[in-house]
Amino acid sequence: MASIRTLHILNKRPGHPAFKSCLSSLENQDALLLTENGVLALVDKGLTLEGCVYALSPDLKARAIPGDASVAQAIDYDEMVALTARAQRVISW
Amino acid sequence: MKTLVIMNQAPYGDWSGREALDMAFSLAAFDQPVALLFTGDGVNWLRREQEAAAISQKAVDRNLAAATIFGVTALYADQQSCHRFGLDQHTMIAGITLADTNAGLLGEYDHVISLS
Amino acid sequence: MTAMPERNNEGFLEDAWAWSPEAAMAIADEDGITLTDNHWEIINFLRYFYKQHEMSPPSNRLFVKAVKEAFGETKGNSIYLMQLFPGTPAKTACRIAGLPRPTNCL
Repeated sequence: MASIRTLHILNKRPGHPAFKSCLSSLENQDALLLTENGVLALVDKGLTLEGCVYALSPDLKARAIPGDASVAQAIDYDEMVALTARAQRVISW
Repeated sequence: MKTLVIMNQAPYGDWSGREALDMAFSLAAFDQPVALLFTGDGVNWLRREQEAAAISQKAVDRNLAAATIFGVTALYADQQSCHRFGLDQHTMIAGITLADTNAGLLGEYDHVISLS
Repeated sequence: MTAMPERNNEGFLEDAWAWSPEAAMAIADEDGITLTDNHWEIINFLRYFYKQHEMSPPSNRLFVKAVKEAFGETKGNSIYLMQLFPGTPAKTACRIAGLPRPTNCL
């Protein structure tokens, strides 16, 4: 499996200042994992997400957010751990 | 005196929304006219069939469905915010009145409260 | 006798889904209450309310309001509910029905 340079874990709502900073710091071999209120980005029409995006499934379920597999892959806690292990470094926003 | 409580925070992120809801319920308990307005990130409270057990919480859409039982007079949602988060009558809980917040709604209330 | 589900220091069930009618009778007995059909009507209503709304009525007034909404004035009043569930009716009734403690009852 391809390794990830930086895994960005983003738990802030789309309007939060850290959300913008996170998106603008994403680079080619990075991956983005949306957790908690970060998953609202998937239903926010004011945003376009590109690249390698994951979303934590329990947080999607809690908020009744339909996971759109073409935008983000829904993963559970075990897969989140595996993802973290694949990344050379992790930034928790 | 009519009170409008503004819910502008996404659910589950922090406790401010729960506290605002609690305040609205308490006003209703003492028969004070109170309504809720969901706007901005707050409209995400209204999405149907939340399964909050997945994150060990209680589903806010189910909590909200008790509002009219307790005497909350109306649940309003800002139309633009709903559009932004892809919410329509099929994805929202029942009993929501769409409102254009820029219009007269705020002016109809003597007391408008936002906790965040 | 079935085992009593786990309870907190105020006698409320830790897990509302662990409740059984037998547990209700045992908890009521501690309060010196013998459950009648009138009690069960309110208990079943509270169980249904919790299933629908994932919360207990937060206060005594809101408990009375919710009962009034469901059964009308004759049952949705504090005297009737106080007679069935002495003390703070919302607390006593929620404890017996296996619901969490109403958040705004002292």
